[in-house]
Amino acid sequence: MSDSASQASRAEPPDEAGTRDDRRRAQIDRLNSIVARYGLLIAFAVMILAFSLAKPDSFPTWANAESILTAAAPALIVAAGLTVPLVMQDFDLSFGSMIGLAGGAAVVMMVDNDAAWPVAILVALALGLGAGVANGYLIAFLGGSSFIITLAMGTVLTGLEFMFTDQKTIFAGVAEGYVEIGQGDSILGLNNQIWIAAVIAIVLWVVLDQSELGRYMYAIGGNPEAARLSGVRIRQIRLVGFVIVALAATIVGILLTAQAASSVPNTGVPYLLPAFAAVFLGSAVFRPGEFNIPGTVVGVLFLGVIQTGLTMLQLETFVINLVQGAILIVAVLVSRLGQRAA
Amino acid sequence: MSTTGPHPPLVLAKGLVKRYPGVLALDHADAVIEAGQVMGLVGKNGAGKSTLIKVLAGATHPDEGEVRIEGDPVHIHNPHHATALGLAFVHQELADVPNLTVAENVELGLGYPKRLGILMDRRRLRDKVREVLQGLGAEGIDPKAPVATLSVAQQRLVMIARGMAANARLLVLDEPSASLSGEEIDQLHRTVRGLADTGVAVVYVTHRLDEIFEITDWVSVMRDGKVVLSCPTDDLNKASLIAHITGSAEVTPENRERAVLGTEPGEELLRVEGITLPGVVEDVSFSLRAGELLGIAGLVGSGRTELVRLIAGADRRPAGRILVRDDEVRINSPRDGRRHGIVLLPEDRRSQGTVLDFSVRKNVTLAKLPAFRLAKALPMPNVRRERASALEMVSRLGIKTANVENPVRFLSGGNQQKVVLAKWLESGADVFIFDEPTHGIDVEGKEEVYRLMEELALAGHGVIFISSEFNELVGACNRVLVMREGRVVGELAGEEITDAALVERCYEGTAAA
Repeated sequence: MSDSASQASRAEPPDEAGTRDDRRRAQIDRLNSIVARYGLLIAFAVMILAFSLAKPDSFPTWANAESILTAAAPALIVAAGLTVPLVMQDFDLSFGSMIGLAGGAAVVMMVDNDAAWPVAILVALALGLGAGVANGYLIAFLGGSSFIITLAMGTVLTGLEFMFTDQKTIFAGVAEGYVEIGQGDSILGLNNQIWIAAVIAIVLWVVLDQSELGRYMYAIGGNPEAARLSGVRIRQIRLVGFVIVALAATIVGILLTAQAASSVPNTGVPYLLPAFAAVFLGSAVFRPGEFNIPGTVVGVLFLGVIQTGLTMLQLETFVINLVQGAILIVAVLVSRLGQRAA
Repeated sequence: MSTTGPHPPLVLAKGLVKRYPGVLALDHADAVIEAGQVMGLVGKNGAGKSTLIKVLAGATHPDEGEVRIEGDPVHIHNPHHATALGLAFVHQELADVPNLTVAENVELGLGYPKRLGILMDRRRLRDKVREVLQGLGAEGIDPKAPVATLSVAQQRLVMIARGMAANARLLVLDEPSASLSGEEIDQLHRTVRGLADTGVAVVYVTHRLDEIFEITDWVSVMRDGKVVLSCPTDDLNKASLIAHITGSAEVTPENRERAVLGTEPGEELLRVEGITLPGVVEDVSFSLRAGELLGIAGLVGSGRTELVRLIAGADRRPAGRILVRDDEVRINSPRDGRRHGIVLLPEDRRSQGTVLDFSVRKNVTLAKLPAFRLAKALPMPNVRRERASALEMVSRLGIKTANVENPVRFLSGGNQQKVVLAKWLESGADVFIFDEPTHGIDVEGKEEVYRLMEELALAGHGVIFISSEFNELVGACNRVLVMREGRVVGELAGEEITDAALVERCYEGTAAA
């Protein structure tokens, strides 16, 4: 039996004549697969070029790049965190509320309870850990639907946030060391948030793509029963996924309140949909059909560039919404079409 | 070919060619299907049967060739068009909607009878479907019952009823007897025979060759995309049929030379005492020794699958004791089972045995990933060593794949089964439980699976082999337990193991031990 015969499930010996038709078909297949894999990257490059031509003085500048990256950093942290449960086919709709709770709780600790800022951060991280474990336990161990449980958990977390903050905006008394985390610059003069986001993305990339844990996560996403029968601890690992996204949300909550040196009620929920959009967009690049961290990074940057570029063109908000939505749909469709043909 | 009668045949396929990238799935295939006949369609996996069926079903379009229905050339655009032409298909995977009733499933998409123009007339619907079911000799199925509550056999009959309700003239059954018990298969055969007698043409795809001789009038054998033989069933016997399927002479399973026969079993690897899960498995005790290939015979529902799943930790912990090398162990999860060296190769390799979208490499190493670490304390797999191990398994087990990075989804059933086995080899396991390992695998693949099990046993492992096809157990095992209604009702060893003896004990339940 020849090699190629086993490539398809309906494998037959190949036509030895190898007609011209076959070759053309193979070429089209290869083209489709390139479109599927890199369609979003090409669209990304075209967009950057278009904005640069439209606004040659302000768009293609170092300052603008830094501002896009700084704005994208919190989005990247939650999107990268969200990628982990999504790999296992688990949804988390509660992380938006977790962002608000973490930021609110940290600020309240410092302002009302005179806690040192590192203590405030530890309290926020403990809350994040608790929320992640609660989600994971209810879903992976007790068998709740991740969609419903995390939706409900989101309401609970927002309730906790309001309990801590009385739904008040707090803008005085935030410790300087805390503010520095969100506002300060470090290596290369780039904002700390960019570096934190980069480190988190790299760590999660190593976890998902290079570690045993990540292999098990993808196995659980592919076939939980086969993974379980192979001895993979699927419940514990799914729980870890919820913990990772909750901790990512906690870090974002801290960064946002640090950057603003204040806490505004319910700031996190607007991060929910863009994070999902970025992760799904990302699943159309590099490894079509599979959630992956490099794809998520591209997805986040893609959305960030659209946002900034369109704003610079000084379009009206409704036009920005329409264009942004349309670009998203086209980008995803182009990838999916190529993927189906491949 | 029998195309020379005064009437053109119901379906005539001529010179069908279908190319997939790099593959010729149909290579000038011809087929003649006559009304009122049951035609067996046989061939190895990948011989082109599914592609031929897909062409008839309108699910794919041939690159060359034509299909004629009663002499008129037709181009079958899509599945809907095929239905309109009177062609009905019952696929191996049940395509019904489990939460709808039998009646709603049978008439699904055919336009339910209406009241007041818009409301569904349930009574008329039920009466119509009851009539169709009666026509199939399936009065026992209640049109009001949700399909999810039916057995697999009954669900297949519902799918057949669906074809009949659409006034099908041709009914294509793709492995309809898979996972049915002997009695259920008899019922299915009566239904099929009855349909043929009313003038319906039936195409019957199966890997069980006994069925061909029981039920078909005509046989078409496919090999390498061609129909290599088309003749009345009476002109063939089992040996000649196998020769046509494989292109060479082959022995049938029950006449195999059993490699494990006459070998002396070694130490006891596993003993279970009083395993009980009320209503499913009742007080089962047996032991397994090194070098043994122990068969478990029983009909579907006899508790054999449940028993081995309990032992391997796949389900809840049962009452009773499990002893590994004389030490009592607690097995609460597949992970525990693995730790004690007991591994299960489950019944459904696609849904339970493999991660289909994972490559061969990732599937092979899934259960023993820590053995491939870059460094002992660093839980990151060394892909190069993984690949080396996967390549070694590929050559050792003869897994046919171009590349170990290919997704397992694209492998044939037999090769997927070998990947599941490769996963457990060198994982420290010494009790291997194979649940229906040859299900849906072609003749050559089956023989390879038997040989792999024998090699495991001869290497000093204990092997448990569950099968519904008793002749397989006859041709491979040195001891067989017979299960019925959750209990072990018989035990046969060596030359006592015959098809007749197994069947007798399965049905009569006379304890022989």
